[in-house]
Amino acid sequence: MNITFTVNGTPWQVPASRGDELLIDFLHDDLGLTGTKLCCGVGVCRACTVAIAASQGEAEEPAAACSTPLSGLDGAAVTTIEGVSAGPQLLPVQEAFLQHFAFQCGYCTPGFVMASKIFLDGLALAPPPDDLDAAIVSALGDHICRCSGYVRYVAALRDVATAVIAAKTNNP
Amino acid sequence: MSLTRRRLIQTAMGIVVCRVSGLPTSANATSRDSAPSRPGIAAERIDGRAKVTGQKIYARDFHARDMAGWPRSQWYGLYLHALSTEHVFLGVDLSSLSQVSRPRRIVLADQFTSSPALPAGSAASASPESGEQPRADAGPARVEFNRPLDLECDLMVRPGHVPNYLGQPVALLLFDSAASFRAARAEMQFNDAAFQSYATETSQSAGMGEVYPPETIYVKYQSGEINFSYAAADAETYLSESPGFRRKIAQALAGDPSLVSQPIACDMGAVDPMFMEPETGLAWYDGHEQTLNIVLGSQSPDGDVSDLAVMFGATDAPVKIGAVNLTNCFPGGGFGGRDSSPFSLMLALAAPFSDGNPVRLELDRYTQFRTGLKRHAAKVTGRVVAGPDMKLRAIEAELELDGGGRRNLSSSVAGLAAFSMGSGYRLPMADISSRAVQSANVSAGSMRGFGGPQGVFAIETALDELAARQGWDPIALRRANVLGTGDQTIAGGPVLQSLRFDEMLDAAEAHPLWKERDSLKASNTKSGRSYGTGLALSMQAYGSSGNGVVAAVHLEPDGGVRVETSGVDMGNGSATTLAVVVASVLGVNASRVVTAGYRLWDQTGLTVDDEHGLGWQDPKWTPKSVSSSSACLTAFHQVHAVQETARALFEGSLMAAARLLWQRPELSSETVAWKDGLLLAAEGNLKPLSLPQLAAVIHTEGLPHGALGHGFYQGSWAEADFPSPAGTLHLRLDGLSFYSGTADAPPVMALRQNASGTGAAAKRYVRTLFAPSLNIVALTVDHATGQVDIQNVVTILNAGRIHVPELVLGQSQGGIAMALSYALLEELADGMDGPAGGGVNLTGYQVARMQDVPLATSYQPGGRAQELIILPEVPEDGGTGRGIAEAVMTAVAPAISNALRDATGRRFSSLPITPSKILQELAR
Repeated sequence: MNITFTVNGTPWQVPASRGDELLIDFLHDDLGLTGTKLCCGVGVCRACTVAIAASQGEAEEPAAACSTPLSGLDGAAVTTIEGVSAGPQLLPVQEAFLQHFAFQCGYCTPGFVMASKIFLDGLALAPPPDDLDAAIVSALGDHICRCSGYVRYVAALRDVATAVIAAKTNNP
Repeated sequence: MSLTRRRLIQTAMGIVVCRVSGLPTSANATSRDSAPSRPGIAAERIDGRAKVTGQKIYARDFHARDMAGWPRSQWYGLYLHALSTEHVFLGVDLSSLSQVSRPRRIVLADQFTSSPALPAGSAASASPESGEQPRADAGPARVEFNRPLDLECDLMVRPGHVPNYLGQPVALLLFDSAASFRAARAEMQFNDAAFQSYATETSQSAGMGEVYPPETIYVKYQSGEINFSYAAADAETYLSESPGFRRKIAQALAGDPSLVSQPIACDMGAVDPMFMEPETGLAWYDGHEQTLNIVLGSQSPDGDVSDLAVMFGATDAPVKIGAVNLTNCFPGGGFGGRDSSPFSLMLALAAPFSDGNPVRLELDRYTQFRTGLKRHAAKVTGRVVAGPDMKLRAIEAELELDGGGRRNLSSSVAGLAAFSMGSGYRLPMADISSRAVQSANVSAGSMRGFGGPQGVFAIETALDELAARQGWDPIALRRANVLGTGDQTIAGGPVLQSLRFDEMLDAAEAHPLWKERDSLKASNTKSGRSYGTGLALSMQAYGSSGNGVVAAVHLEPDGGVRVETSGVDMGNGSATTLAVVVASVLGVNASRVVTAGYRLWDQTGLTVDDEHGLGWQDPKWTPKSVSSSSACLTAFHQVHAVQETARALFEGSLMAAARLLWQRPELSSETVAWKDGLLLAAEGNLKPLSLPQLAAVIHTEGLPHGALGHGFYQGSWAEADFPSPAGTLHLRLDGLSFYSGTADAPPVMALRQNASGTGAAAKRYVRTLFAPSLNIVALTVDHATGQVDIQNVVTILNAGRIHVPELVLGQSQGGIAMALSYALLEELADGMDGPAGGGVNLTGYQVARMQDVPLATSYQPGGRAQELIILPEVPEDGGTGRGIAEAVMTAVAPAISNALRDATGRRFSSLPITPSKILQELAR
């Protein structure tokens, strides 16, 4: 038996005997994708957030790669920070993080990017929240940043989210 | 061009060549892929794109396979950590490990030489092919490592000895695969006692409870004609005279019944820096080249590499090392926790025992808590004494800091904690003693604030309590006592900068969060919420008693500017700042900034040895080489070195090239100016020159294409005259060299003349550079749960010139988050119940999250914000910035305690102020 899943669109198969291995180790050791960062290793700080769609075509959900065993990925599509933008073209939220000087050491940044991407994707599909800041805190409130104090992350995400909501309003 | 920096260190075994190089990928700070920026303005962080796209820039990201020229095979190291300081460590027993978890090799210290100068150890390898249980046996010949400077205990505990502290390494296990390493780690986690054995009888660990010398004593007595202080007294007799003045202080205070005495009694627990990237590194001993290769993310690469050279310089070292190569990566956070961290030594120790394979040492978060440097826990007792006119007369205090079991800057931190007890106040009398003591706990180091948080919390809560008890206005009390230019610090050193506390207090008094605090409290009370407002200020020092900085500025053949600095960018934005500050001199931002420029100091040709006692008369002498990196050394120190070195390049070379191109040999640099990246002459008929044009002439005419400058600051910058192709230059540098010819040619020293610098007396000033800050905190407290919610924070900051506003704001916001986190949330138990036990992670150790901090940046009544008010720059600043990385943070915790006093009428003087402490106090 094999476990089959994709990472950034590339299909992978691993034997079921490796089912207890953690996704973050697979990303780092097998694929050399080190953009997903390990911090606490117990799924608390969210630095290692990746996007996982339970099956192809389903909506992505944030997941802590440090606490996700490969056994739970059969049929899933995993997206990491390396998979969200190609070449010099960045996601709007990545550009916003840059323009707002949102991060400092940057170690937590890939996790913030991934969670923000999923939040913004959801925002484009759902009715606009009554309280955008509360929605941001709800989506990213578990993420730890030790350098920046969060203010600039939230401001950047607020800008992009506002643009997403405006675009949806203008083009329903 | 090679970006490798090189240095030679003499050891008993000969000369060791030390090199530090940048990242193995192209991710060193460069703006070439970044958004276009205007000169002097940063459009984004110079390292931002690499970080926001998850590129390999941290040590954690690298494996042996990523390193050019390294073997692809990789071993893994895993240390076992001491569980007792009261019993003799006997050894390890791994026989219960499953087959897959068994290490390839076990390294114990039982065959390291017992020479007191040397921590010892030997390798004893099992034979995996035989299927035997790996064990540490008698092994081959004894080997030894030199103990690096300042290390006073063994790197690893020798069997038969009592560990010096909890968490001290007792054994190194080496694995030849990731699978076996991870399996072993999982099997052994939270089950340490099953694999280590200790003697049953109780023993005593050496040095427990002893002071890490020196103790700091500040005795100050100013009365009439008598002026005694650390700075004013003769250094030789200061300590012997101090007891007499202590008695005079006691007599003066006892003899005036009108004085009001306010006790000081507070404490704070240890804090973990909790930088996001657990320490990780690679080490590979290349036997063919006799070279130790290290990949690391360090705040102190210069010290680390020197320590490694010393460590392997022992006569019977396990391997012969002729060179140490350190590849220094971006640290994933630092906060002082990577300054002189023991991690680099433990990483290197593994290299000789891995059969020529690279070794990866990767801490998980539990182990990071268990071994990483902490902020010193502290207890402060004493009293502050004021007259009925609110004027402070004296402070008496004793500080005791928990240095943990391995000395690491503890005495220096205790010293600055003592100095910080004076905060920003005039104190004619002081009697302060401060010491760091050895304990069984995890070692403490130079975490953000460097003693400031401990001292400022003590004095600012005491003053608030004094005001509350006397019915004095907290701002009026402070206004009556704040320092100004011409005053003296608690050490007796002069206040040389414009502090502007009066302006800050005026701004605080006028701010609606303070001005309307009573009505805000009343309205909250009506809503059933307990609300309070508190205020505190700080005079956090940046820099030390004397700082050396070095920088190089290069003009590339294509006209781009490259900056090299000795500093490390821990995320504070040093590289970005240094990129934009050259624009005022060279017309453009640097396109590349290389940090951790370890080679630079050696290239200066300077020396710190004053063997002939010539001091500044020796054209190659300077008091200090380079200081280790801290975030607060950028805005003033490193910026100065870069700008002054850029000025040397501009005046000494670019102007020479411009005169050639314009055919105006007498043209003064005062008649030219940069505009839009072009050099314009006041004479309107001269065609503007671009940097590529100038660079072309410089490179073809053999003019200097780079300059290397060294600066020394101790109350003022040393300065001197230097020869250059364009004539003599007067610079506020004490060392200058020019790069000419081929790109890799070493620089040639421009021998200085007429040098002047501060004398030895300035060192007794202790600190002369300050970033004054004032915080107002408003909070609510839930009497049912003890939960505190920070509603608003207003910060008033004297930051001097702002080089990159976004970075200053970010440092402030990060400082506030960290401060309210350690004030309210972060709690570590002592001993094996704490991090040393290996069971602490973020599940229990709470740090501030998004919802804990006010996220708006402008105060609005009824809203929740943190507002930063930066005093506008004044001419007295001289165009210089101030290091504010710690300043905003320091006064937040006392402001929280003071706000809680206002809200509840109770004093909370033990950090962290947890809900349980609040409920306990409210129930009392």
